[in-house]
Amino acid sequence: MKSYFFLFLILINSSISHGQNPSCTCFIKGFVRDQHSGQPIAGATVLLTGTTNGVFTNDKGRYEIKDLCPGAYTLEARIVGYSVYKQSIDLKTGHEENFTLLEQEVHLKDVEITAQRTDAPSSQPLTMISGNDLEQTRGQTLGESLKGISGVTSMQTGSSISKPVIHGLHSNRILILNNGVRQEGQQWGSEHAPEIDPFVATRLSVIKGAAGVRYGSDAIGGVILVEPEELPFNKPLSGEVNLVGFTNGRQGVVSSTIQGGIKGLSGFGWRAQGTIKRGGNIRTPNYFLDNTGISEKNFSLGAGYRHKGFGIDLFYSRFDTKIGIFSGSHIGSVTDLLNVIKNGEPFVKSGFSYKIGRPDQNVTHDLLKAEAHYNFQDGNRLQWTIAQQVNNRNEYDLHVPRNDSIAALNHPELTFKLNTLTNDVIWDHKPIAGKISGQIGLSTLYQYNLMTGRPLIPNFNQFNIGVFWIERYIKNDWEFEAGVRYDYRTLSTHRIASRQKISNYFDFHNASGTVGATRNLTQNLSARLNAGSTWRAPNVSELFSDGVHHGAAAYEKGDSTLHPEKAFNSIASIKYASEKLTIEIGGYFNYIKDFIYLKPQPEPILTVRGAFPYFKYTQTDASFKGIDVSAAWQFVKNITVTSKLSYLKAYDTRNDDYLVMIPANRLDNQLKYEIPLLANFHNVFFSVGNLWVARQKLVPPNSDFMPPPAAYSLWNIQAGGTIHLSNKQQLEIGLSVQNLFNTVYRDYMNRFRYYADDIGRNASLRLKWTFGA
Amino acid sequence: MNMNRKLTWMLLFGITTLFTQCKDSGDEVKADDENELITSVTLTFTEVGTGTVTTFAYKDPDGDGGNAPTKFDTISLKANTSYTLTPAFLDESKTPVDDITAEIKEKAFEHLLVYTPNPTTLLTYTYGDKDTNGYPIGLTGTAIAGAAGTGTLKVQLRHQPNAKNGTITPGSDDVNLDFNLKVK
Repeated sequence: MKSYFFLFLILINSSISHGQNPSCTCFIKGFVRDQHSGQPIAGATVLLTGTTNGVFTNDKGRYEIKDLCPGAYTLEARIVGYSVYKQSIDLKTGHEENFTLLEQEVHLKDVEITAQRTDAPSSQPLTMISGNDLEQTRGQTLGESLKGISGVTSMQTGSSISKPVIHGLHSNRILILNNGVRQEGQQWGSEHAPEIDPFVATRLSVIKGAAGVRYGSDAIGGVILVEPEELPFNKPLSGEVNLVGFTNGRQGVVSSTIQGGIKGLSGFGWRAQGTIKRGGNIRTPNYFLDNTGISEKNFSLGAGYRHKGFGIDLFYSRFDTKIGIFSGSHIGSVTDLLNVIKNGEPFVKSGFSYKIGRPDQNVTHDLLKAEAHYNFQDGNRLQWTIAQQVNNRNEYDLHVPRNDSIAALNHPELTFKLNTLTNDVIWDHKPIAGKISGQIGLSTLYQYNLMTGRPLIPNFNQFNIGVFWIERYIKNDWEFEAGVRYDYRTLSTHRIASRQKISNYFDFHNASGTVGATRNLTQNLSARLNAGSTWRAPNVSELFSDGVHHGAAAYEKGDSTLHPEKAFNSIASIKYASEKLTIEIGGYFNYIKDFIYLKPQPEPILTVRGAFPYFKYTQTDASFKGIDVSAAWQFVKNITVTSKLSYLKAYDTRNDDYLVMIPANRLDNQLKYEIPLLANFHNVFFSVGNLWVARQKLVPPNSDFMPPPAAYSLWNIQAGGTIHLSNKQQLEIGLSVQNLFNTVYRDYMNRFRYYADDIGRNASLRLKWTFGA
Repeated sequence: MNMNRKLTWMLLFGITTLFTQCKDSGDEVKADDENELITSVTLTFTEVGTGTVTTFAYKDPDGDGGNAPTKFDTISLKANTSYTLTPAFLDESKTPVDDITAEIKEKAFEHLLVYTPNPTTLLTYTYGDKDTNGYPIGLTGTAIAGAAGTGTLKVQLRHQPNAKNGTITPGSDDVNLDFNLKVK
């Protein structure tokens, strides 16, 4: 599903004496290959930007650009279905002025370039976190790691439960692909974070905007790709050990990876990875938060085999976490909530402890995946992925049952077991005339959910089948793409009400479509435009919720007559990239027809714990308009300033009002000073950053128990460098302090904003030892 | 070679069918089990002296949501009269009916009943019991009705595990009901 190609370039730079233009006889030649399969890619465009030199690779993936004068060039490879890759090449390295008549010199250099094969619509913005940027997020949850991307924020329940939000949409409106497999947990819940260990990935990418055609309905807001590196086929043993320590929560994280090929057996590669995380109570600037510890143990195993055009990969991962939920957030009634808000700080006082007691969540997620592909001689490619996921979620309430004998069993008050089987078959047809490429795919999903405990959602069985067809066309500076998809879903739900078993059956089906264009205006400037439509079927909690949501002090009721929401998304972006300056400006407009939301009802609902505000899942029409800007400017040698702005305005167009729980606008600035070599340290950097988050003013009047928190500004500092211990071993060191001035703040998207301040100062030390690579 | 490839593919597709075994989540539906549910709250006022018993109740047999509460009485008391007040709590959704009062008595050191009249002149409550730590419970006590008037009586059952200190502050509500109160 995701593979990468690398250009394996052999640069031969030769200058031979000739008539009038003696030095313009250099040439570049090489191969273009898909890294995932190792197969040559025919029909790829390889060109030197800013010149008219451009060639296509032949059937064997070979290309050659001749008659080049010495000088600095940017080599660009463009292949339909892959993201554009650029590489700077200096054709006069080593002998600037020595192109004399009789001198004959041959430079042989291997340049290995890896670029991502993209299944993502190329006309939609794709932002990636990898390398050094990813290293700096190590030890954090997936949701926190992605926060550095403009347009991406997080919805939190305290500091240990964090869900990614893309352009204001989250939960069931975004998709997470873990190693190519659609992550299926209980993602409808606002306190259910993605069950993924970010250490599995060497790259985290976010596709902003509706990407439903390729990845399936539901992807209204965007898609997050969590991708490990390609397995090390036929490579020697290598690995890494990461150690991360955080002062806040006195949290420690250890993660290591070991990988290699198998000696004497060609075509094999394997990898084993594991992470252990343990943290205690989090401290806000003024007090500890009781019972906010975390304990996590994850591991993954991967193995693969490649032979000629055939390849198979097996992957297994287990995620196992135990998260304490801040005990001061437990409330019984609206009065309890109003009292905590009035008090301004939690009633529950605590010191530091690693103990995780009730309330807590205990979640395991197992994923078993097999992927096989075959590249036919004629350029066709067939890929099949099958995966099974078992998500086991246990939630323990603060109070044990009053009856001692039942309490002694210590059963969770809520248990969900979700079992999902997905199947994806994708056929990439052979490129037509080297200009049109495309793929046709069939995806199925079968899942069932079993739940016990306090009433929340019913048991259900769900089956989904989808077919899609995407074509891409490249001509000169233009790249076009178009795709269609059709999905059909059946859902049956089963629950017991008034001691009777009640079953309901639903069918949902709809089409999705996308069209897009990319234009390279100049060497540095490109523009993209994408328009698409996708849909999302209501999920089980929207259909059947019926009870008090204690975290939100609200009575939430589902509606089994809801119909799917339909999204119409347009997104345009312009990117300028030069050596010193990169600017990307993107604007989006997402119109969601029949947007499902919780509508406040005029009458509260009476329970034994008093009257609760009553909310019913209802449909309206909503618009999400926003701008993402990111810019990096190296204004003095080695000093770069980076700015990111996220602006979003969401509106309920049917009721002429704002929407709740929409992230506030924010501005992130960073100043970085880099030193290539300082004593024994390579790639040394120092940086200082500031994150400013506005107050969310666009909320419906009287929609909340307390007004959205004030704007806040947080400072952070980082430093890092790498020591080369030996030829094949290096040690990376990173230091950072978040919330440097221990600022007291609360965030609108943190569900604990009613109860307590957000996390205080947090210093961290990261060590990464790599060997063999 | 070509044959091998075909075989591989056939094998792989074969595995798919193995996975397609279906499980019906409808066969394993379990009834809801809410461990802290209280479906009925009954307040028994026994007039001091005469021994006349009057009871007032809140009943919501199917718990939160679903059908609306079936009963929510207005408390009616005689002015300037003393009563012994004993509350009773049941979870009638379980079979047999769960006697929550007994469980509160057993765990008296983590429960506190609070009676708050509004306006305060309507009623004066005095605790008549103490837990093992010497803090009041409220399962029995004296309520003296004041001058005639109307208002409300808030009845709260505070669940305060490991935090009970005799005040209302710690813990959370297991019951929080505003009964209408008429003193005449």
